Amino acid sequence: MTNELNRRSFVGKAASVAGAAALAPLLSACGGGGDRQTGANSESGLKKALPAYVPSTSLKPDIPSVSNGPDAATDPGFLHYPTEHPTTVSGVPGKGGKYTAVTPLWGTVPPPGNSFYQAMNKALGVDLTIKPADGNNYATIVPTMTAAKRLPDWIQLPTWWNAAFSVGQLAGSQLADLTPYLSGDKIKKYPNLAAIPSGAWQVGAWGNKLYGIPGGSTRFATAGTVFYRRDVLEPKGITADDVRSADDLMSLGKELTDAKRGVWAFDQVWTYLFPSWDVPATWKIEDGKLVHKYELPQFLEALDWHHKLAKAGYMHPDALADTPSNTRFYSGKVLIVGGGTGTWNLADYQSGTAANKSYRRDAFNYIAADGKSKPRAFMGGSTSIVSYLNANLKPRQIEELLAVADYLAAPYGSREYTMVNFGVEGVHHTMKDGAPAATDAGKKYVQPTTYGFLAQPPGVISNQGAPVVTKDYAAWQAANVKALYKPVFWNMNISMPQSIATALAAQTVEDTIMDCTRGKKKVSDVQAAITSWKSSSGQRLKNWMTDNVLDKYGTGQ
Amino acid sequence: MSTAEARQARRSERLNWRIRLRRDRTLLIMTVPSIVLLLVFNYAPLFGIVTAFQYYDPLIGVRHSDWAGLDQFTRLLDDPVFWQTLKNTIYLSFVQLILFFPIPIALALLLNTVISERIRNFFQSIVYLPHFFSWVLTITIFQQMLGGAGVLNHFLRTHDIGTWDIMTNPDTFALLVTSQAVWKEAGWGIIIFLAALAAINSELYEAAAADGAGRWRRMWHITLPGLRGVIILMLVLRLGNALSVGFEQFLIQRAAVGHDAADVLDTFSFYYGIATNDYSYGAAAGLFKSVISLLLIWGANKLAHAFGEDGLYRK
Repeated sequence: MTNELNRRSFVGKAASVAGAAALAPLLSACGGGGDRQTGANSESGLKKALPAYVPSTSLKPDIPSVSNGPDAATDPGFLHYPTEHPTTVSGVPGKGGKYTAVTPLWGTVPPPGNSFYQAMNKALGVDLTIKPADGNNYATIVPTMTAAKRLPDWIQLPTWWNAAFSVGQLAGSQLADLTPYLSGDKIKKYPNLAAIPSGAWQVGAWGNKLYGIPGGSTRFATAGTVFYRRDVLEPKGITADDVRSADDLMSLGKELTDAKRGVWAFDQVWTYLFPSWDVPATWKIEDGKLVHKYELPQFLEALDWHHKLAKAGYMHPDALADTPSNTRFYSGKVLIVGGGTGTWNLADYQSGTAANKSYRRDAFNYIAADGKSKPRAFMGGSTSIVSYLNANLKPRQIEELLAVADYLAAPYGSREYTMVNFGVEGVHHTMKDGAPAATDAGKKYVQPTTYGFLAQPPGVISNQGAPVVTKDYAAWQAANVKALYKPVFWNMNISMPQSIATALAAQTVEDTIMDCTRGKKKVSDVQAAITSWKSSSGQRLKNWMTDNVLDKYGTGQ
Repeated sequence: MSTAEARQARRSERLNWRIRLRRDRTLLIMTVPSIVLLLVFNYAPLFGIVTAFQYYDPLIGVRHSDWAGLDQFTRLLDDPVFWQTLKNTIYLSFVQLILFFPIPIALALLLNTVISERIRNFFQSIVYLPHFFSWVLTITIFQQMLGGAGVLNHFLRTHDIGTWDIMTNPDTFALLVTSQAVWKEAGWGIIIFLAALAAINSELYEAAAADGAGRWRRMWHITLPGLRGVIILMLVLRLGNALSVGFEQFLIQRAAVGHDAADVLDTFSFYYGIATNDYSYGAAAGLFKSVISLLLIWGANKLAHAFGEDGLYRK
C-alpha cells in the first residue's frame, strides 16, 4: 500500500465493482441527445489548463523514485516513518468558513463531532462537516443529490462511477471549474497540490477544464500484475528472471501443479496477463485509424493461451468456479495469481505470514508473450479518487477550500500528513519505535478514511514493520517502469450516449471471454460473439469514437 | 319492495357497515402498518415503470428524460441473449417445479408420522436451519464439499478415480441449483403443510382405521384430500413466481458455469441494465417479466377455480 490511509478495504470493494472498467479509459455515459459535449480533452487545450508540476522536496525517501518520462515513475519508498515531520503549510489554511463534504466509507462511520474532527477543524481553520455515506450504496445516494441539484460543498466522485454519476454533465453545471485557480503557475499558491503529478489532474479534467482534485495518485498506475509465492518458488530454483515468455509460464504450470496434494500452479491471471500479447486496454491506433482490441489477432492468441491453461488443469478448480483467491494464495494451494498492485501491502503480509511464517509475495516482471519483443504494459488511470467542489461556491470560498485541500495533500511524513492520517499525538496515536501507533480513539475516529477522499498527496510505498514488502515492491516497480506506456486516450474522460456506452461495455463479449479463460467456451465462441457485437454495435462505437473524439481531440496525448 | 322497505334496508346496511367498522376497529388498525408498508415500498415504486418507455438518465430524472416509446422492448425482443435468458428461466422453473415442489410435501408427511415429539422437534430444527444461511454460505459449503478441490473430488483424486465436475458443469447446472434450493429451503417449506396436516380432524383417521383402512388408504383418502387446498394454493403462487427462480444463487455461480447457462431474467436486468447504466433496458426486461408473471398467476388462479378449489381467494 502506498500510504496509511485505509485504502485497502476500499480497494477490495472497489475491485469487484469496477472490474475491467477500471482499466479502460474513463468513460461517462449520458443518455439521449448526441449534441452534448463529450467531455474529452485535446492535447493543446489540456496543456493550457493543467497545473504546473513542482515535486515536493521536503522529505528524502529511503528508496528514490525512478522515472520513465514525465508521466511514468516508481513510487518513492520509505522503510520507516520519517523521524522529522517538516511543516509544509504555514499558519492555518482556512478563514473560518462553514462547509459540508460527502465521502464514501466502507466501514463503520465515525460519530459526528468527534475529537478528531474537532482537532482537524482547528488545524484547518474551517468548520468542515464530513458526512461519510455507505460506500456500498454510494452509487445510488449521489444521483439523488445531483438530480435535486443539492450537492454538498465538497464531494468525492470515484471515477469508476463517472458514468453512473454523469460527471461529464455535472462538470460545468453543478461542479466548480477550478481552472482559474489552478492552471499553470497559479497552483504554486498551493505547493502541496502542485506536487501532484499532471496525470492525476487529467483524470479530473473535463472538456479542457480542471474540475477534480485528485486523491491518492501514482505515476505507476497499471492494470495489475502476476504475483507468485517467492518463498515457495525460490527454493525450487525459480526466480522472476526465469520467466520471460508465455511458454515459460505454461511450463511452470506443469512443474508446480500437484493436484493430489491439492496444489495448483495458477489462479486467475487473464485480466493481468493479456497485455503481454501487446493487447491494449481498449484501443490502439494503426495507420491513423482506431482499432479495438477485439479486432487484433494477438487478442485471440492471448485467449487461446489462457483457454489452454485452464484446460491443461494447471488452474485451481475453485479459481475456475470464480471464488475469491486470497486464502488459496496464503495457504499455498495456488502459487501464481493475478491481481492489482494495491494488494501488495502490509495487511497482505500480515495475513500471509499468519498462514505461513515464511510467506513472501513477489511479482513476475512484465513479459512479452513471445519472449522476444520488448515487454509492454499499458498504464491505467493515475487516480480513481477525485473530489469536486460545488459550482455555487463563491470564489473566496473555493480559494479557502483549495487551501484546505493543500493541507490535506501534504507529503508523506510531514507534520500535516501526520495530523490527517494519525490525529493528535497522545490522543489518537502514540509514537512507538519512531512510528505513530493508533490508540483506541485513533482506531475509531482517524482510521476510517474521510479526509483522504477529499485530497491526498501522491502515493509512496511504506509498510510500517514490514520493510521487506516495501523493498520487494519498490524493486519490482524499478525493474518494470521501463515497460510502461501510455495507452490511447490515457486519463481522458469521455462522456458518451447510452447506446455507445452499452456497446463499449460489450457485456456479452466480456462474459464469453471470461467463460473462455475458464475453459467453458472455445476461442471460436468468442470470435462469434465478437462478430455479432461488431455488426450490432461495435462498428457504431468505433465510428462514434472516431468522429467525436479522435478526429476532434486526437488521442489526448 | 316498496320504497320504504328499500330505504330501511339501505339504512340497516349502512348501520351494518358502521357496526362492522366499530367491531373490527382494532383489527383494522392492526393492518394499517402493513398497508402503509405495501403502499410505500410496493405500490409507489411502480411509477418507476415509466422508465421502461424512456431513455432514462438519472441526472435529469424521470420528468425530463427523452421518450423512447416501445424502443426498449423492440431492442429486448431482438436480443438473442434475452431469449437465451428466458429459455433458461423457464427451464429452471420447470425443473424446480418437478423436483423441488413435491419435496416439502413429502417431508411434511414423513414428519407427521413421527410420533415422539422430541424426535420430531429435533428433526424439524435440523431441516429448518439451512433456511437461515445466506446463499453465499450455502454455495461455499457446496463448493467445499463438491467443488473441484472439495472433499469429494479430493477423495476421488487421491484414490485415482476420475474426478467429477459438479460445480462448474453448465449441462447439469439446473440440477445443481435445484439441489441447493432443496437443501436450503425444503425444510422451511414444510411449515405450511404441517399446519394444514394439523388441521385435519383426527377422528377421520380413527374412523377409517376402525373401518380397516391401512396406512396408504388413510393417506390417499384423508391426508391428501385434506392437503389439496393448500397444495393448489402453493402451486398457484409458484406459477405466479415461475419467472423468479432466484437471483443471488445465479449471480454467485454465473462465472462458474458461464453466462449462457446461469443467466435468468433477474440477472439479465442486473448485468445488461444496471451494471452498464442502461436502466431503461433493465426496466423493460423487468416489466416484461412482471406482465408475464401476472398473466401466469391469473391463469393459474382461474384454473384452480375451474377445479372447484379456492386458489388465491374464494370466488
